[in-house]
Amino acid sequence: MRALRCLVRKEFLQLRRDTALLRVVFVLPIFQLLVLSYALNSDLRNVRVGTLDEDRTALSRLVLDAFPASDVFVAGPAARDAAELEALLQAGACDLAVRVPAGFERDVAAGRTPSVGIDVDGTNSSLAGRGAGYAGAIVMREAERFAAANAGPAASVPRVATVVRFLYNPELESRLFMVPGVIVMLVTIISALATGMAVVREKELGTLDQVLVTPLTPLQYVVGKTLPFGLIALVDLALATLFARVWFHVPMLGSPWVLLLGVLAYLLVTLGLGLLASAASNTQQQAMFTVWFFLVFAIMLSGFFFPVDNMPEWARWLTRVNPMRYFMDIVRGVLLRGAGLADLAGELLTLLGMGVAAFGGAVVAFRREGVRG
Amino acid sequence: MNRILAVARKEFLHILRDRRSLAVAVLMPLVMVLLYGAVIDMELRDLRVGVLDLDGGDRSRELLRATTSSGFIVEAERLHGRDEIEAGFRQGRIQAALVVPRGYGEDLARGEARVQVLVDGADASTAATVANYLQAVVALVNRDLLRDAGLAAPFGARTRVWFNPELVSARFVVPGLVALVLMMICALLTSIAITREKEAGTLEQILTTPVTPAQVIVGKVLPYVALGALDCAMVLMAGKWVFGVPMAGSWWLLAAYCLLFIVIALALGLLISARSPSLRVAMMAALMVTMLPTMILSGFVFPIASMPGPLQVVCRLLPATHFLVVLRGIMLKGQSWFPLQTAALVVMAAVLLTLAIRSFRLRLE
Repeated sequence: MRALRCLVRKEFLQLRRDTALLRVVFVLPIFQLLVLSYALNSDLRNVRVGTLDEDRTALSRLVLDAFPASDVFVAGPAARDAAELEALLQAGACDLAVRVPAGFERDVAAGRTPSVGIDVDGTNSSLAGRGAGYAGAIVMREAERFAAANAGPAASVPRVATVVRFLYNPELESRLFMVPGVIVMLVTIISALATGMAVVREKELGTLDQVLVTPLTPLQYVVGKTLPFGLIALVDLALATLFARVWFHVPMLGSPWVLLLGVLAYLLVTLGLGLLASAASNTQQQAMFTVWFFLVFAIMLSGFFFPVDNMPEWARWLTRVNPMRYFMDIVRGVLLRGAGLADLAGELLTLLGMGVAAFGGAVVAFRREGVRG
Repeated sequence: MNRILAVARKEFLHILRDRRSLAVAVLMPLVMVLLYGAVIDMELRDLRVGVLDLDGGDRSRELLRATTSSGFIVEAERLHGRDEIEAGFRQGRIQAALVVPRGYGEDLARGEARVQVLVDGADASTAATVANYLQAVVALVNRDLLRDAGLAAPFGARTRVWFNPELVSARFVVPGLVALVLMMICALLTSIAITREKEAGTLEQILTTPVTPAQVIVGKVLPYVALGALDCAMVLMAGKWVFGVPMAGSWWLLAAYCLLFIVIALALGLLISARSPSLRVAMMAALMVTMLPTMILSGFVFPIASMPGPLQVVCRLLPATHFLVVLRGIMLKGQSWFPLQTAALVVMAAVLLTLAIRSFRLRLE
């Protein structure tokens, strides 16, 4: 126990002197939280609409004016003919083009049900699909309004109205959803990357051999080495959650203790994985690459910005072995939905199992290292 | 020239000997294309919706049948009380709930009935889409009601998607990955390679040889240019063969712009290594300056137009933003004329190169 205390003390002294690393570890997360939370925005805004009015009637203007009036679209260039409209799309001067064909109003009056053309630039598929959806909804709404205004009191058609309510996030701000994701990412990067590189650095400098000749057991070494980074990650989590609350008004509906339980289980996993990566590497560059390789896929398959439900079956299966996905569910659940221990029991147990496996694996790996050295 | 080649050969051997880094540098782009191409999908397919029927009449059953058979909703779960809705959200079993209130049938007979759509807003990236789908389903029901009454909508909309009709996400991801890979290999690896020699003190040994500093730098970056070009070609080929990403424009033009972007990335890598005191700082800085912005602020996945104003300015200052417009233009639209983007890229290349050469000379002599 005393040996462990000494090692932890040494680690903290070393950390305190490494001001560059400390800056990276404490200042960068807040900076990233700010930039990423503003940038990772899946709301559609300012989609530029090019127009082509071949009809030039009151009705065609009514339809076209409905676009910039919505909060998704802004008015873009107006084309004079079909060729110009195509050129606008080609040059990327607008994201979406609306075209009212000649004889539109006349066809409507004659009951021929003409169509408004919506041309979408499909090269930006994150925008195209939903943009087309919104545009279609706008045309449909205008059609309904027009029909209602012209039908008069005689027509009584039964109608189903929908009342939509968004629970937990009434204004549907994607920021509420993204900020917890950024927090998860920060905790992961700091704990896994910093641990991974710290041990290899000792290897590179040759001080690992010195440690190995001391009476420290592999378990003590592994615990002592990771404890400071675990603490840093905890402090970062607290800082980031606080910042998210003050700056972005992200609530904390659930219990902080459940969150703490979740992060402890998760840190076991990330610290263990960082150690495993460093046990398998000889240089800091290799360690960084190895950790980073896994991080890229862990982040992608965590449901951070790409919904897990949209993934093909095999990718969904992959997310089930991804610890980050479970922690993401825990953080979002606790912060936004007020999920309790009972709701998250499955996730917590899975993380705990993964953590014990990863950490145990790291201890075994270092025991072998000790034998070799 | 011989000297440059000698330095390049030495660096090349370094790369070959570090098998793991090489494997990551070669495999990562490939795995990324395959995964990103399959995983990035902003359209929702399988909706998990809970259905709560408080009316239980013929009309409400009709509505629910129309809802579940529309093809939009894959898994519908029947709920038995309002408290089950929130429990379902908290456990992540359902994304939305459709509630048919008591008296729905009578209300519909009288003219207007209401149904409630409750959506889990915590998952904001899908919530809006889920709500749209459910509203679209109800709109279909309304259309049928209109048709039954002998009325039709006065006009409709016909949507056509250009350049990427099926909205295959790979077509839009592959150009972004090209930018990401070039940044990763040419900026990140170069900065690491140079900082490592600086830290190990071997750079000075090389400088005592008759090789000039410029020759050292050119020799050192050459292998990374080759590696970057190789990765880039792999990403493009994988995109073409696995996901059918088209090539509407000219390969030569594409190669020319890639080369311009490689110059920018290299200059950035040199600048980082010249300014970093240690390997660790160089790695962190390279990650921060190259990878994250290229992934997040370049319009790769997240539309720049939706970001707040000041951030949009930052986006426009990134080389990757302009490079992406060019890549997508060439590959998907067959464009060949990009006056604005070319000017921006050339200016950035010139500025970064000047800065890199200046700060480097100071350190080496």
